[in-house]
Amino acid sequence: MSLLKEPDLGTPARPGPATVSLEVDGLPVTVPEGTSVMRAAALSGIDVPKLCATDSLEAFGSCRLCLVEIDGRRGTPASCTTPVAEGMRVSTQTPKLEKLRQGVMELYISDHPLDCLTCPANGDCELQDMSGIVGLRQVRYGYEGANHLDEKKDTSNPYFDFDASKCISCSRCVRACGEVQGTFALTIEGRGFESKVSAGGTDFMSSECVSCGACVQACPTSTLQEKSVIQLGMPTRSVITTCAYCGVGCSFKAELRGAELVRMVPYKDGGANEGHSCVKGRFAFGYATHPDRVLTPMVRERITDEWRPVDWDTAIAFTAAKLRDIQSRHGVGAIGGITSSRTTNEEVYVVQKMIRAAFGNNNVDTCARVCHSPTGYGLKQTFGTSAGTQDFRSVAKSDVIMVIGANPTDGHPVFASRMKRRLREGAKLIVVDPRRIDLVRSPHIEARHHLQLAPGTNVAVVNAMAHVVLTEGLVDRSFVDERCEDFDDWAAFIALPENSPEAVEEHTGVPAEEVRAAARLFATGGNGAIYYGLGVTEHSQGSTMVMGMANLAMATGNIGREGVGVNPLRGQNNVQGSCDMGSFPHELPGYRHVSDDVVRGVFENMWGSTLQAEPGLRIPNMFDAAIDGSFRALYVQGEDIAQSDPNIKHVHAALTALELVVVQDLFLNETAKFAHVFLPGTSFLEKDGTFTNAERRINRVRPVMAPKTGKHEWQIVAEIAQAMGYPMHYDRPSQIMDEIAALTPTFAGVSFDKLDKLGSVQWPCNDNAPEGTPIMHTDGFVRGKGRFVPTPYVPTRERSTRKYPLILTTGRILSQYNVGAQTRRTANVAWHPEDVLEIHPHDAEVRGISDGDEVVLTSRVGATTLRAVLADRMPVGVVYTTFHHPVTGANVVTTENSDWATNCPEYKVTAVQVGLKSPAMAG
Amino acid sequence: MINDIAVQFRHQGLDTAAAAIAEHIRTFWDPRMRAELIRRVDAEPETVDPLALAATLLLLTQP
Amino acid sequence: MTTTVYVPRDSAARSLGADEVAAKLMETADRPIRIVRNGSHGMLWLEPLVEVVTERGRVGYGPVEPDAVAGLVAAGMLDGADHELCQGVVADLPWMRDQTRLCFTRVGVTDPLSPDDYLAHGGLTGLRRALSSDPADVVAEVTESGLRGRGGAGFPAGVKWKTVAGISGPLKFVCCNADEGDSGTFADRMLMEGDPFTLIEGMTIAAYAVGATEGYVYIRSEYPDAVRTMREAIGVAREQGWLGDDVLGSGLTFNLFVRVGAGAYICGEETAMLESLEGKRGMVRAKPPIPAITGLFGRPTVVNNVLTLASVPAILSGGAAAYQALGVERSRGTQVFQLAGNIARGGIFETAFGMTLQDLIQKYGGGTRSGRPIRAVQVGGPLGAYLPADGLDLPMEYEAFAAAGAMLGHGGVVVFDDTVDMAAMARFAMEFCAEESCGKCTPCRVGAVRGVEVIDKIRAGQDPDDNLALLGDLCELMTEGSLCAMGGLTPMPVRSALLHFADDFSPRGGGQR
Repeated sequence: MSLLKEPDLGTPARPGPATVSLEVDGLPVTVPEGTSVMRAAALSGIDVPKLCATDSLEAFGSCRLCLVEIDGRRGTPASCTTPVAEGMRVSTQTPKLEKLRQGVMELYISDHPLDCLTCPANGDCELQDMSGIVGLRQVRYGYEGANHLDEKKDTSNPYFDFDASKCISCSRCVRACGEVQGTFALTIEGRGFESKVSAGGTDFMSSECVSCGACVQACPTSTLQEKSVIQLGMPTRSVITTCAYCGVGCSFKAELRGAELVRMVPYKDGGANEGHSCVKGRFAFGYATHPDRVLTPMVRERITDEWRPVDWDTAIAFTAAKLRDIQSRHGVGAIGGITSSRTTNEEVYVVQKMIRAAFGNNNVDTCARVCHSPTGYGLKQTFGTSAGTQDFRSVAKSDVIMVIGANPTDGHPVFASRMKRRLREGAKLIVVDPRRIDLVRSPHIEARHHLQLAPGTNVAVVNAMAHVVLTEGLVDRSFVDERCEDFDDWAAFIALPENSPEAVEEHTGVPAEEVRAAARLFATGGNGAIYYGLGVTEHSQGSTMVMGMANLAMATGNIGREGVGVNPLRGQNNVQGSCDMGSFPHELPGYRHVSDDVVRGVFENMWGSTLQAEPGLRIPNMFDAAIDGSFRALYVQGEDIAQSDPNIKHVHAALTALELVVVQDLFLNETAKFAHVFLPGTSFLEKDGTFTNAERRINRVRPVMAPKTGKHEWQIVAEIAQAMGYPMHYDRPSQIMDEIAALTPTFAGVSFDKLDKLGSVQWPCNDNAPEGTPIMHTDGFVRGKGRFVPTPYVPTRERSTRKYPLILTTGRILSQYNVGAQTRRTANVAWHPEDVLEIHPHDAEVRGISDGDEVVLTSRVGATTLRAVLADRMPVGVVYTTFHHPVTGANVVTTENSDWATNCPEYKVTAVQVGLKSPAMAG
Repeated sequence: MINDIAVQFRHQGLDTAAAAIAEHIRTFWDPRMRAELIRRVDAEPETVDPLALAATLLLLTQP
Repeated sequence: MTTTVYVPRDSAARSLGADEVAAKLMETADRPIRIVRNGSHGMLWLEPLVEVVTERGRVGYGPVEPDAVAGLVAAGMLDGADHELCQGVVADLPWMRDQTRLCFTRVGVTDPLSPDDYLAHGGLTGLRRALSSDPADVVAEVTESGLRGRGGAGFPAGVKWKTVAGISGPLKFVCCNADEGDSGTFADRMLMEGDPFTLIEGMTIAAYAVGATEGYVYIRSEYPDAVRTMREAIGVAREQGWLGDDVLGSGLTFNLFVRVGAGAYICGEETAMLESLEGKRGMVRAKPPIPAITGLFGRPTVVNNVLTLASVPAILSGGAAAYQALGVERSRGTQVFQLAGNIARGGIFETAFGMTLQDLIQKYGGGTRSGRPIRAVQVGGPLGAYLPADGLDLPMEYEAFAAAGAMLGHGGVVVFDDTVDMAAMARFAMEFCAEESCGKCTPCRVGAVRGVEVIDKIRAGQDPDDNLALLGDLCELMTEGSLCAMGGLTPMPVRSALLHFADDFSPRGGGQR
């Protein structure tokens, strides 16, 4: 489509049943109570001139362009700040208003560069538009008066410039930074004519700015402008698509000139983000066209050989022949594959279909294994389905928000902004985390309780909270009686004295009284919502903890309506979707066990193939079986297991043992070093399909450009299956979704047509819920009754010892993403050029470590070197690092310990020692 | 791994726990992992948690 | 026998040497004396005004310079002896006698920080009566009294209170606007320095009436003495049980705090003041929502000026009818006028609404200090209109002033003699606006700067007709289009200068001085 300009109604919507009817310029209009006159006018098709108003921000009333006249009222009120009233008669165009508006524009233009024709915002400038609309014909003040034309340009941010000479002081950027993003990095400095936008008195890059782009988005002029637009010019067409970074799944307008992507602009109608963005989605898309991209298939006999570029037919034939050969020699079960949480649902679906139907086994797993597999297990056991219960919007109705083992401001920034908005409105916050994450105390937000627990003691803490709820009589009995089962057994267990806050204090390090207070707040503070991340799942009791949270939510009646729920914050863009699509070795699409004859029969019928009724190998089992010799070939789609999986030495040994490793990826990643076939993949800009975000929202991913590799990833997979003798063919990805819908009851109502019509839907989407399901378990639980499961705390085997006295925990930061394959190939490296080890000053001092020193981090399985940063965000005894850079190799030190139920690795707890890098080791 | 699973069910009675562990293994384990478990129970039962032993017996009797 | 001597602690008196005078008195007194540091009576031309308690009453001497103390003592001042500086019994001076002091009834009379003095002079009568009535009746009393906001806008206080009282909620505020930034005004300061308990009492009554539990007095940083005195007085009041969790044993909780501004005139605008109180940059909020509904930290908030709140105890103690009986038309009760500028006798004059400006300036103010003829008078601060000498026969009440294109504002009266250049004064109005604008709305932020430039062009004779037209358009835009009264009223002095003193705007006229 041509460049999409979304309508701007000036002020935000006011939800509510009550309506008010009025007349604007004689046109009748009925709007919700509390709506501004400006918005009412816009809804009736009349755009009142405006500059400081935009519908993502609360009305401000500063530009004075939107003045109107209202019958029976004095003066000329601003339509943005005046709420509608019943029977109001508004005039938006009168000679008096015309004169006032021209007067305002005359003032603006008397202090503005007259370089419209060469301005980067030419054609996309509201100031320019308004000059035209009000009919400004002269500036009687002249241009020689006081002005800001010599203001300096701040070009410090890698993605956008701040040209103060063009600033009209509307404060939209400042307000966006506060209201939308919640960072409050910007302010107005000085007063009167000297009022200036300021990044806290410094340049943007040195400021607290997180480069989310909200200010750029809000700026009505060219003052805050993308560097890409300055360099390339205004885009001419838009494609609405979905970000491929985290599990928030923001909708964007990809804006292009011809085939060149100029900028990504957050889409206001995007269900997940509603017009907001973060530094990654908004700006860090350069990796998609990075010269490191491999665009031609490559093969080699041995991993010590040079890569040999080949054409697609050769690569596909080579792969298929090798796979069949291995199966003929070592059995049907000797090969398997890993689906990617980065690719589309359709691409995942065809990979698992290839494995189940063409490979003829269930050796399929996904990278969710190493992140949210415990979510799948725990929520299925308790609620009956493996998904978060809420939509993101729900948080706006929460009264108590409990964040456990998640760092949303870095990991899920766009959702974090929603959460922060609600917290600023007065919702109370409980943070359960060994680290003092930013949310604990940030502008206008302070956690009521920060349960700073020892890593690995989540279950003890959640049990203690449940113990308080139960023993202090705070259980929501009517909810439990009506909606749940197995409560009595659970209650008997949780009431045991060993689960009391006092009893577990010794393990958890959290003062009992703090746990009690937090539990009381959660149980009695109104709508209580739990949001959690990998700090919950990546533990030896990850699955137990998920169930523990589900128990707590059920016991307090916090399931099944807006504002409550148990919500995983998913790491990857399509981790939800890859799980939904049958990527686990024991489950067919839609979370149905392979042993279910009826379900299997449906698939066998549709796929024309016999399917195995036994579960296949999980990723860690694949590695073990590779070393044992029973597993010989692995197909890896879009996951860098050689960098991201724990205990790297073991992974490398397994990969080396394999006869065939097929890697399908954008870049020659670490895993490709062990590969025999490299199949170049497509970036999200080339993909055509769907991603499913953490709120079960199925979003369309639309191709912005043709595949740079010449082939879609689903085509590659289908052709390999074909070459292996299994007929698989699709003309277009919508056919794949149609097949998914036909086979999967929760997706029965999903089609590309419907997604194009509605924008997105949240599964379950079927005849019962044709437009999807924002909140789950509203009437009954998916499994009928919510099930309480006792969750005994079993300490991890990984403990600090004399040799390894510190506990390492890992996480990520805002500007980088996962193993950094994408973000390291963008200007985001300006914020995080290397992984560092955060260490408490006390732990550093006793080791003679100073800020910035190179240190060696050692665990019982490996060692790595990185730079130390002194920080008191962790308690004494805990160190922290990120895993964004392969050179650091944080997973060199992580161990093979894993969640008992799902084998999700225990990334979050590793006993380590830290020491100064000695001169002898410096070579 | 089997012992890690067993310990999670220790709060339950032997029969309940064994049944739950066996069900977990049926649901999630690849056949070759089950075969390896049975081999291990046979060869070195002392390394296997008693609950897991009981569960393995169940797997043998009710595969 | 100890003689009691009053030496004001008011900062106007102190700036004229009152502290040294007090010290000298201690040194040179020929008998035991007790010095009470009272507020100022408001006769600033007599400051430092020393009063000696005699059988006749409090005999005043002023202005007393420190060096004159020894001579005065020697001349028998401590006995109330006659002297060229002796003004006689202060309470009998026409200036004092002709006033109707309700707000200022104790200012100058009592020791501002003495609770006993306060009680002895009728303090707390109003609060006690309020606490024994229903809060709604207190609101009604204030409504019936006809009390209007003394900060300048003249909004009926009772209506505002009723709005706040009508919203249920656990947390409401009473905020006192003591950011007295208008040129030629000082009544707020003198009340806070001279009788802080009255303000505290007024705020407590307001809190009781509307259901507020917390109050703030927002004082400009240029008033360090007022800040100190208010803080001390709040401490005393808390000790006395006049503030706190159980005010006068009534069960009422009201805690009061002082917050100090940071030098911005705009923070006298109520919404900017609220922003500042919240710790933010002092920037005007768009209304609606009005502060009575969404005020400090988003809670229902009474925002009233010092004089408004300080009028309340008198209304409650004397009754609405008595208060309402004072004044004229829709301007009821008294206003504390402040005489300043080029005036012979500057100071505080509290009187019922309705006296003419002419009388106030001539009869009490004594005409110009320079002795030259009056040319213009600005009433209501820097954004008030300039009235020409022949337009002073104007009753001082809100509507009469509005009809004359002027405003009473906060009651400040600044007098200019015939040497004033009114084009320069018009320019100053724009310059003041440019200097003090918060910068939020365009007409004020950019308009004021352009206003200065356009007036400069006019005065320089550059396209005077076009530029006068442009100035007229700009004044219209600022009046109609500004977000708050700052930009909206700036044209008032400009237009009045243009109207009454048009000649000053020609290059020839500008050269008149």
